[in-house]
Amino acid sequence: MSVTRVIAAIPEAAAVIALPPLLLSIVVKTKAWFAGRVGPPWLQPYLDLYKLMNKGVVYSKTTTWVFRAGPIVNLAALLTAATLVPVLSSGSLFGFAGDVILVAYLFALGRMFTVLAALDTGSSFEGMGASREVTFGTMSEPALFLSLIVLAIGSKSLQLSEMVGSQLFAAWGTVGPAMLLVVGALLIVLLTETCRVPVDDPATHLELTMIHEVMVLDHSGPDFAYITYGAALKFLLLGSILLHAAFPHPGWPLWIDAPLRLIELVGLATVVGAIECSMARLRLNRVPLLLAGATVLGALAAVLTLTGSMR
Amino acid sequence: MSAILASLAVLLGGAVLTAMLSQRPRLGLLIAMLSILGGSLLCLAAALPCLVHTSAAQSIVLAWPLPLGEARLALDGLSAWFLATIALLSSAVAIYAWEYLQAELGKEPVPALGAFLCVLVAALILVVTASDVALFLLGWELMMLASFFLVAFHHRQPEVRRAAWIYLVANHLGTALFVFPLFGILAAKAGGIDFQTFQAALRNSDQGTTTVLFLLGLLGFGTKAGFMPMHIWLPVAHPAAPTPVSALLSGVVIKVGIYGLLRLLGWLPALSVSCALVMLVFAMVSGVLGVLYALAQHDIKRLLAYHSVENIGIIGLGIGMGMLGHSLGQPALVALGYGGALLHVLNHALFKGLLFLSAGAVIHATGTGDIERLGGLARKTPVNAALFLLAAVSICGLPPFNGFVSEWILYGSLFSGTWVGSRSAAWVAAMGVLSLALMGGLALACFAKVFGVVFLGEPRERAIRVHPTPALMRVGMLIPAALCLGIGVWPTVFVPLTAGGVRTVAGLDAGEVSQRIRSVLSPVGHLTLLAAVLLTSIVALGGIKRLLLRRPGAALAAPVVTWGCGFAQPTGRMQYTASSFAWSLIHSFRSVLWPHRKIAAPAGPFAVHAALESHVPDMAEHDFFAPLLRGVSRAFRMIRNVSWTGEPVLPAPSRDDGARVGPMRVLITGVATALRQGRIQLYMGFIVLTLLVVFFVESLSPRESAAPPARPAARGIEGTSK
Repeated sequence: MSVTRVIAAIPEAAAVIALPPLLLSIVVKTKAWFAGRVGPPWLQPYLDLYKLMNKGVVYSKTTTWVFRAGPIVNLAALLTAATLVPVLSSGSLFGFAGDVILVAYLFALGRMFTVLAALDTGSSFEGMGASREVTFGTMSEPALFLSLIVLAIGSKSLQLSEMVGSQLFAAWGTVGPAMLLVVGALLIVLLTETCRVPVDDPATHLELTMIHEVMVLDHSGPDFAYITYGAALKFLLLGSILLHAAFPHPGWPLWIDAPLRLIELVGLATVVGAIECSMARLRLNRVPLLLAGATVLGALAAVLTLTGSMR
Repeated sequence: MSAILASLAVLLGGAVLTAMLSQRPRLGLLIAMLSILGGSLLCLAAALPCLVHTSAAQSIVLAWPLPLGEARLALDGLSAWFLATIALLSSAVAIYAWEYLQAELGKEPVPALGAFLCVLVAALILVVTASDVALFLLGWELMMLASFFLVAFHHRQPEVRRAAWIYLVANHLGTALFVFPLFGILAAKAGGIDFQTFQAALRNSDQGTTTVLFLLGLLGFGTKAGFMPMHIWLPVAHPAAPTPVSALLSGVVIKVGIYGLLRLLGWLPALSVSCALVMLVFAMVSGVLGVLYALAQHDIKRLLAYHSVENIGIIGLGIGMGMLGHSLGQPALVALGYGGALLHVLNHALFKGLLFLSAGAVIHATGTGDIERLGGLARKTPVNAALFLLAAVSICGLPPFNGFVSEWILYGSLFSGTWVGSRSAAWVAAMGVLSLALMGGLALACFAKVFGVVFLGEPRERAIRVHPTPALMRVGMLIPAALCLGIGVWPTVFVPLTAGGVRTVAGLDAGEVSQRIRSVLSPVGHLTLLAAVLLTSIVALGGIKRLLLRRPGAALAAPVVTWGCGFAQPTGRMQYTASSFAWSLIHSFRSVLWPHRKIAAPAGPFAVHAALESHVPDMAEHDFFAPLLRGVSRAFRMIRNVSWTGEPVLPAPSRDDGARVGPMRVLITGVATALRQGRIQLYMGFIVLTLLVVFFVESLSPRESAAPPARPAARGIEGTSK
């Protein structure tokens, strides 16, 4: 990649870094609107992050360096993934053939260290949350990879920005039903991985029912800021993959492309907020069924594509 | 080539010297470890030039007056790759074992262990460099016998004796039933035992023959490699063996099975697609079931042994994709599949070796390998904890470590298999992607469990005292650790080295391999860039946090107890256990695993006792081999006792009801008991008698005198006597 391309990517990178908390704000505002409230100010997530960055930290006597490294590695993995995922434009900063696998495994790296940091506290609650996280994370993996198979066959490429690029227009034309199923599977993966209703409720206040929140109970100060921001960034990245797959743009110039993507992201956040208002979270032992459902959607899409693409 | 001969001489000399020094165990151990180190370095010196230049095969013929002709050794890309793997891990194990075995001095026959370790390493080197059937099988047998004695090191414990016995029987069954017939057919086809002639001899064989040869190889070498369901010896033998031995067993000995399979594939012409599909199905079953069983284990070494089954499955996926590409005429699949499989062979040797050595350090420090009893070791043995974490992250295939590089290449082969091949191939490739993704997720869960429970949190049993890890053990572990990170960060250096092996197996030359890989995946240099991005972000985020906390007013608060909903006096026993951590996943896969769980629920308002025990028996062992072997042993009993029921015909020579037994049965039983006296002289007499009869019959045979050339007869003897 040339220097000019890197320089040209700076405004987009700045936007990608600045956007995530806004999406959280939109989800919260949507929920408030459904409940007939005004809700917190639009910039509240940014203010929360600022507040957390300025606080000190409290560490438990039980913890080791793994606990301190957890949030850092998690956020670093997500930031690295952000250089590979197309967000506002249709290209990515460091994209290369095969980067889609790296993105999936960077998410896994982040999960590994979040889980280890939780286990480092020696708390039963956090152990429970960690166990749930690895269970649901493992179960959403087949759905994610089945969707990726469909996208890879459609584009004959393993570069994420090409897999969800403009040639998906053709794929929607030939294997439209499969693409629809992929979007459904990716939406469930998004809700699982970002700990949203119906899998997890980020607003719950009972440790026994939490998944992600209970794992990060003992983090405070800048550590917790990293975690909050990381969760929002993960939402942005997975949401972008979903949106690029669902609404392929046929190579429009950047000044049309980027604002449209932004509107789509706002729409996605609104939809997630609406889902959170319109349904309760599932019982924990029902979640595997939902993920199995996502896997079936992905499998059906793969079947349709495989039978469609081979003559 | 002479370096390999020198290394064999060093190792065998070391073994003899160590065995003679049984009165001076410390010196004996030192000599054994030094000769393993020296032998490994010599092997590396021989293998590296061959890998770097991907030159043509070198060979050497020793005109020894052996009964089966001269001994041939050869070194090509495939041999050199495995040789380098063996050498790297054995040198690390040698340094580690010197400290590790100090505790056993005076208690157990340590010099014998050292001598057998030397023999094992020599046998491994012999197997991967042998270039004729006799030498290969000699090395193969030597390897199995040496590792049998090594597994049986703590021979006073009955379960160790049982494990060693299962190891010996399982591997010899695999060898006798599949590997010997395989080489018999090969030698018969080629009319000789030289490996170099096999490829030409098989060029025009029909599909049926090659399929039979492949299946024999898959079952025979697969038993050694540990494909499901032939893996049952693995989880039994690994925990029983002393740690340096388990590391070698899991790191390199099972890889020799993969070597045999790849060597066979190099001789065979393109197989049918169905053979590749069989390979892929075996690999997927081994991979997914291996990691699921691993998740259910409580013993750290047994858990790691099941992970070896999983990783052999991952290697098998690569081999299967390579075979698929070969039969479909898709060089990209061949290069990616075999290349990824070979790289994973080295990677698995490194991180699994490191995991076993680190687990050994845990057992050395605490005296137990039961993970439910451990906890909080990261504060007592920080270096060992960091090394274990590094290996765990590598084995889960996470960036920026070596496991990711090989899994990345394998994903490349599987994904491209979904769009280049035929429809059935695309289906299986898609299944392969799915199973590899599932394996990745489950391995992450499993190693989060092990590392979290053993090293993090608080100790679960206060009574366990922790000894520090000795320095040389740490040095031994640093070698594979550095390579794990090195391969992950600079794959550009290591990935091209697999080209020689791919050429031996599939006939693609080095330039073509890299060109074909590039048609699907970017050059591996991109991984270096992204690893740099990742490591820079980690450093930057760490630095930002440090700066924020250094500011006045943002002081570090005093350490407190972990938040427990207001409960201020947590104990180690209150932590989440490994069983509970894994249970939700195991429960989700209960239709595959059939877990047993015993619960003693707390009862009454003042419950005093509650217990939970979960246990997952191995399906292959309990539901397949146990009934099968029971049937076989019943058949043998029937032969021995000359009766259909398997019970003795005449339980005892009872006098009162003797009249009811017919004269024929009395005669048969009488002869049977007369023949089974239990005297060894009598049995040897039988052998002599049988041989005499055989010679007599053969001298009578008219065909023998009529057959003009001696060659077919000699070939027949060669084919059957090995």
